[in-house]
Amino acid sequence: MNKPKPDSNPILLLRLGTFLCFAGWTWVHFYWEGPYGVLLWQDATYAFAERLGVSWESFVGSGADDGLVQKWIAWIGWLYLGCTILALTVRGKSRIQMAALMGGSVLLAIVAYARYLAAQRQLPMFIEHGGQILIPVLLVMALSLGARHRVTVITAIVAFITTFGGHGCYALGLWPVPSGYHAMTSLILQVEHETATSILRVTGVLDFVVCLGICIPSLRRGCALYAAAWGFLTAIARPVVGMSLSLNYWGADHFLHEAVLRAPHFLIPLHLFILWRPPRQAETLASPPDSTPESGEAVSERPGDPHG
Amino acid sequence: MKLQKWLVICGAALFIAGVAVSQQKNKRKKGRAVLAIPEVAKKDLICFALYTVHDKTLKLTAQLYPLAADDSRTVRLEIKKGDQWVEVARTTAIEQGWTAPFRVENWDDSRAHHYRVVHGAGSVYKGLIRRNPVDKDEIIVASFTGNSIHPAHGGDISRQDIINNVRKIDADVLFFSGDQVYDHHKHYAAWLKFGRDFGEIIKDRPTLCLPDDHDAGQPNLWGESGKVSTLGGASDGGYSRPGVYVQEVERAQTSHFPDPVDPHKIGQGIGVWFTNLNWGKVDFAILEDRKFKTGPAGRVPKQGPRPDHIRNPEYDPASVDVEGAVLLGQRQLKFLDKWAQDWRHADMKVALSATIFCGGAHIHGGANGRLHADMDSNGWPQTGRHRALATLRKGFAFHCAGDQHLATIFHHGLDEYRDAIWSFCVPSIANLYLRWWDPLEPGVNREPGAPGYTGDHLDGFHNKVTNYAAANPVKKPAGNVLNTRSAGFGIVRLNTRKREITMECWPRNVDITDPAASQYPGWPRTISQYDNYAPPSWGTLGELTFDVEDPVVQLIDATTREVLYTVRANGKTFTAGAPKGKAFIVRAGKHAPDTVISQKAQVGSAPRTVTLN
Repeated sequence: MNKPKPDSNPILLLRLGTFLCFAGWTWVHFYWEGPYGVLLWQDATYAFAERLGVSWESFVGSGADDGLVQKWIAWIGWLYLGCTILALTVRGKSRIQMAALMGGSVLLAIVAYARYLAAQRQLPMFIEHGGQILIPVLLVMALSLGARHRVTVITAIVAFITTFGGHGCYALGLWPVPSGYHAMTSLILQVEHETATSILRVTGVLDFVVCLGICIPSLRRGCALYAAAWGFLTAIARPVVGMSLSLNYWGADHFLHEAVLRAPHFLIPLHLFILWRPPRQAETLASPPDSTPESGEAVSERPGDPHG
Repeated sequence: MKLQKWLVICGAALFIAGVAVSQQKNKRKKGRAVLAIPEVAKKDLICFALYTVHDKTLKLTAQLYPLAADDSRTVRLEIKKGDQWVEVARTTAIEQGWTAPFRVENWDDSRAHHYRVVHGAGSVYKGLIRRNPVDKDEIIVASFTGNSIHPAHGGDISRQDIINNVRKIDADVLFFSGDQVYDHHKHYAAWLKFGRDFGEIIKDRPTLCLPDDHDAGQPNLWGESGKVSTLGGASDGGYSRPGVYVQEVERAQTSHFPDPVDPHKIGQGIGVWFTNLNWGKVDFAILEDRKFKTGPAGRVPKQGPRPDHIRNPEYDPASVDVEGAVLLGQRQLKFLDKWAQDWRHADMKVALSATIFCGGAHIHGGANGRLHADMDSNGWPQTGRHRALATLRKGFAFHCAGDQHLATIFHHGLDEYRDAIWSFCVPSIANLYLRWWDPLEPGVNREPGAPGYTGDHLDGFHNKVTNYAAANPVKKPAGNVLNTRSAGFGIVRLNTRKREITMECWPRNVDITDPAASQYPGWPRTISQYDNYAPPSWGTLGELTFDVEDPVVQLIDATTREVLYTVRANGKTFTAGAPKGKAFIVRAGKHAPDTVISQKAQVGSAPRTVTLN
């Protein structure tokens, strides 16, 4: 009889979050287009290509056919698809798969950087992608070092803080509040602009409160639970307000992936919430004896040790 | 262990916060403009003022810098009578956006008036309300679009060349077609900068600024009657920014327009401003081609990498012309229909809007951004485009617009090539986003020696268009500022005596009065007012000779009773064009077509003399 693995549920959440995040971005790359225009249509990019001996015509295409730029963008979609599959197949001893997933994290960082540039270099735009960028790293760490390893936990906390700290910077109005924040708040809660602004300010404060609270042992589980709920609500807000029966496919192709790729925003806090459950509860919630053990989960720390 | 962990976490948090704060305080970022509201002395609290005069009503909006809590909110408008300044109106400044709108009825537009706007704290701003130039042979409209202020592409270069040129040609009207402001969050600060840049010429002549997508704080705008947009890019239709923000934008840019003809508000309390301005015997229709337009996302089948972009050249254009998709909307079409028939105090008609009624570019953004069609253009929805052009040509209206970041001249077609109006899309003041008109196949019926991109084409929505000029930017990066990005401005000369329209397209930083100065290739071009509805397949009725100068003539289909067109003749004779094989009721009159002069006129009918007096 296999010994119960108390970390299988937290790792499952990381695996699910990684899978959904890559799946959402794969949809963006194949169905729509990756947000790389701002990176590629720069003189510096072309100058770099020219130094590599790429002609202008090859770089941009003739107009009737694709240049290297569009071919590269198309190829990136396949890399995302690969990472999506790897999120399901990776195990603790499959070093190549883990290395590839770490590469996927770099891909997500590039997307975040492109969005940061497109947002006129607003730092919170990059920071709030921290959860998405780090979730493949977290999965790899959890598989190789263990979910409770100090480095893994600290990385999860950093992912948590960046996601909610970035969000809080916007919601508090430290940077210009993205239009969608007001729109979604007004539409879902059916409130006027002033009320929506007040609500956003409150949620912004709470974003920072949970970022601090996640560092305080007595508060961290509550903060993680709140953040999981809040992350989930902000993720599904997009399809909730955008989809309509009157649209083709109910508008799902426009809005659903916006929720899917934000899965790390609620699954990382949920992962921490479960990871930090009290020892007795941990035993109750442990995986059933016949569950498939994850490679690399055999960590030295005691089950339920909150300090890893 | 515990302590170490918390120290690491707190250190990381502090690092992130520190970077964030330093980033926020970084005042100079390469390629980007830094917008701030300057602190000004009390005597300089009034930044600039915009006005129009229409139908004996003056509307003037003074734009203020922020007033202090203890500053009076009262602002006065005075005009000079002899040596005295006489108050003609006073108003209360609106704090959201700090505008002071004035309205003066029974305005005497037969003479010029020096005016000053006065604020109690000691600020005085002076300008000139011009007389209505009804006796001028030529009304000059200086036309602009796309006022990027970002240094990356030359937006920080002084506008003094524009100021100097407008003064030299003494333009009668200024027309800013949209994107006066590119900042999506700080319209007020950017609008003040716009005023500092252009106030010197705006204060002395009627000025029309049409708020477009970027002014409203979003990259594209399909207003859908005030819906709330939640999709990135806003292609789901509606406004991305809150209604109060849009209201403030429109108050700043349009509250000095003649009263809206149909002032009912749309969603989120956003107003409407479509109307007309009659100035110098030219009747300008001021259109809102974004406010009612349907967003494409989810309504049309996906055909490209964005909901509004069609990259698949094999797609069926009819598939995107979906039922219920709106362009100008019924309210505006109803207004246009009346406007096209109303020729009181007007010799010529001009439509002004944000952009042109076709897909006027093939390559977007970067040199290989080839799109088959762009639904942000007014080529979509095709049925809406058809209705708009069919209505505008009934008044032989010339169309001036912008937003494409690419200057073009098109003669539009509906049922056949060149059977509708002409349009001039003016170049950007500073070009944020490049576009090229670059068809893969050369146009047919080109003028001798004309470039391959001119001539008859189908745009990406299978709309018929005939191109006569395109100021394409340099394809390969080449300095990347202003004129290599085809920046510039347009001049439209409306000759009310000859009934001719001359389009000029000038690059930046040239003296346009210098005979050696060159325009972009393809300009200038002069057309007749009557070219705006002269389908090649038409014939002509027998010449009509009147006993009065410049009567208004109207043709009505004798079978359907639908108005074919209404126009003011030039002189005492008029040869009406008309479709072959149909009979028409011809009406005419000195100021309105109130007398039936023929019940069944047909192409080839005999000339006749008509008495109207």
